Amino acid sequence: MDQLLRFQDVKLYYDHVYALKGVSLEVKEGETVALIGANGAGKSSILRAITGLQKIREGQVHFRGQRIDGTAPDEIVRMGISMVPEGRRVFPYMTVRDNLMMGAFTRGDRNEIRDSIDMVLTRFPRLKERYSQQAGTMSGGEQQMLVIGRALMSRPRLLLLDEPSLGIAPKLVQDIARSIVAINRDEGVSVLLVEQNSRMALRVSQRAYALSTGSVALSGNSAEMLTDERVRKLYLGGEL
Amino acid sequence: MEQVIANGLYLGAQYALIALGLTLIFALMNVLNFAHGQLYVLGGFVTYTIYGQLGLPFPVALVCSGLTLAVVGAAIEKYLFRTVIRRSVREESTMLLAAAIAFFLDSVILLLFGEKQRGVPKIIDGVFISDAVILPYDRILVGVLAVLMIAAFVLFMQYSKPGRAMRALAQDRIAAQLMGVNVNRYSMIGFALGAMLAGVVGGLLVTITGVNSGIGGPISIKAFLMVMIGGAGVVGGAIAGGFILGMMESVGLTVLREFGDVTYLVIFALLMVFLSIRPNGLMGKPWG
Repeated sequence: MDQLLRFQDVKLYYDHVYALKGVSLEVKEGETVALIGANGAGKSSILRAITGLQKIREGQVHFRGQRIDGTAPDEIVRMGISMVPEGRRVFPYMTVRDNLMMGAFTRGDRNEIRDSIDMVLTRFPRLKERYSQQAGTMSGGEQQMLVIGRALMSRPRLLLLDEPSLGIAPKLVQDIARSIVAINRDEGVSVLLVEQNSRMALRVSQRAYALSTGSVALSGNSAEMLTDERVRKLYLGGEL
Repeated sequence: MEQVIANGLYLGAQYALIALGLTLIFALMNVLNFAHGQLYVLGGFVTYTIYGQLGLPFPVALVCSGLTLAVVGAAIEKYLFRTVIRRSVREESTMLLAAAIAFFLDSVILLLFGEKQRGVPKIIDGVFISDAVILPYDRILVGVLAVLMIAAFVLFMQYSKPGRAMRALAQDRIAAQLMGVNVNRYSMIGFALGAMLAGVVGGLLVTITGVNSGIGGPISIKAFLMVMIGGAGVVGGAIAGGFILGMMESVGLTVLREFGDVTYLVIFALLMVFLSIRPNGLMGKPWG
C-alpha cells in the first residue's frame, strides 16, 4: 500500500510545555488508523499539527509525498485532508444544508456538490429529516453525523476524526463506529481516528498507535492490540 | 401620526444599513469599530465632491462612495487591524486602534474638506402630498434605496458563497478554517463590505441632511445604540435596532418638541433600563 501521510519526529509545544516529544507515524492509502491514549497524551495535538491549526517545532509532515508542515489550514483542506474537530463544532445558526454546503467550500462544481449531498444524506438518513433545521438545535449524535458528513463534502483523501464518540449516547456510538468503517470502505477515504474510547477505536481500525505523554508507547495491528496484555491494562482497563 | 411613522421608517432604513456594517465587522473579527461614523462621513464627502462639486450624476457619486469606502475598509483591515490582532491577544488593543482610527479620520476629513456644513442639490424635486403624509420625493427615493440595499445584503449573506463563508466565520472561526475558509481574506472582505455600507449611507444622506466633518462621532454612537438594542453580531438585530432607533427619534422629535432637545436624553435613559433587563439586546446571544 502507498504511503499517504507521514509524520516524522514531530515535536510541538504550547507555552513551553511539550505536547509531542518526537512522534513518528504513518497512514497508508485506504487504511483506518487509530490513535489511543489518555487525556493529554498528545492525540489531538497530532491532528492539529496535520491540519496546520498548530505549528510544529521540529520534524516534518508529508502528505502524498509533499511536505505540508507550515501550510495554512485552508490550503491543507484543498490538498485533500479534512478534519472533524473535537466537540463537533457545527455552525449552530446554520441549517443542515448550509453546514454541508460549507463542507464543500473548496469545490466549485455545483452538480457534483449536489451528488455529494445526496451521498451524505443516504449515509445519514437522519440528516435528511433535519435538512432545513438549525444545526445547533439537534442532538449530539445528529450533530456528530452532520460534522462527519460535512467533512466528507470536500472529498478528502484523508479524514481526521477527533473524539467522535465524546458525549454521544452509547447506542449512537455503535452507529458512528459502523459509519466510520463504511466510509473507509466505500468512499476510498483513509481515516486517522483519535479516540478515548480505545475499544471502539481498535475495533474499527486496522492499525493503531498508543500514545503516552507526548510519544508513541506502542503500535501495531489493532486486532492484536485488543488482546495485548499491556494495552488491556493501560488503555482498556475498566471498560468492558 | 402617519407622518411620524413615515419619517421613522425613512430614517430607520438608513440607520439599519449603518448598523449592519458595524455588526458585520463585530461578528467577523470581534472588533468594535469606533471609526464607523467617520467612514459614513467620508462616504458623504465623496458624494458631495463628485455629485455636488464636479456635477456628475448622483448614481455615479453613490457608487464611488461605496467603492472608495470598500477600499479604505479593506486597507484598514489589512494594514491596521490584522497587524494588531496578530501581535496582541488583548481585546483592548483593537478598541484603542479603532478609537485612534476614528481620531485620525476625523482629522483627515477636516483637512481635506474643511469644517463647514456641506450640502448638495436635490436629487429630485417635488413633494408627495396626501391627506396623511407629506414626504419629499428625494426622501422617499433615499428610503427605498436603503431598503433595497438591506434586502440585497441579507440575500447576499444568506445565499451567496462568500456570504455563507462569513456567517461560518462568525459562528465558529476554527471550524470555518477547517472548511477551507481563508480567515484573512474573508475578514478583509467583511470589513470592506461593512465600510462600504457606511459609505453608501453617507452618500445617500448627504442629499437630505448634508454632511460636516464633526458628525462622525455622534453617528458612531448611534450605530452602537442600534447594535446594542438589537443584539451584537446578529443581522436581524441590527435591522431591528436601526428601525427602532429611527422610529424613536422620529416620535421623540415630535412628541418631545416642546421640552427642547431632549429626545436623545430620553432614548439613552430608556436604553439603560432596557439593557439592565436584556443585556444581550433583543436578539443577541451571550458571547464567550
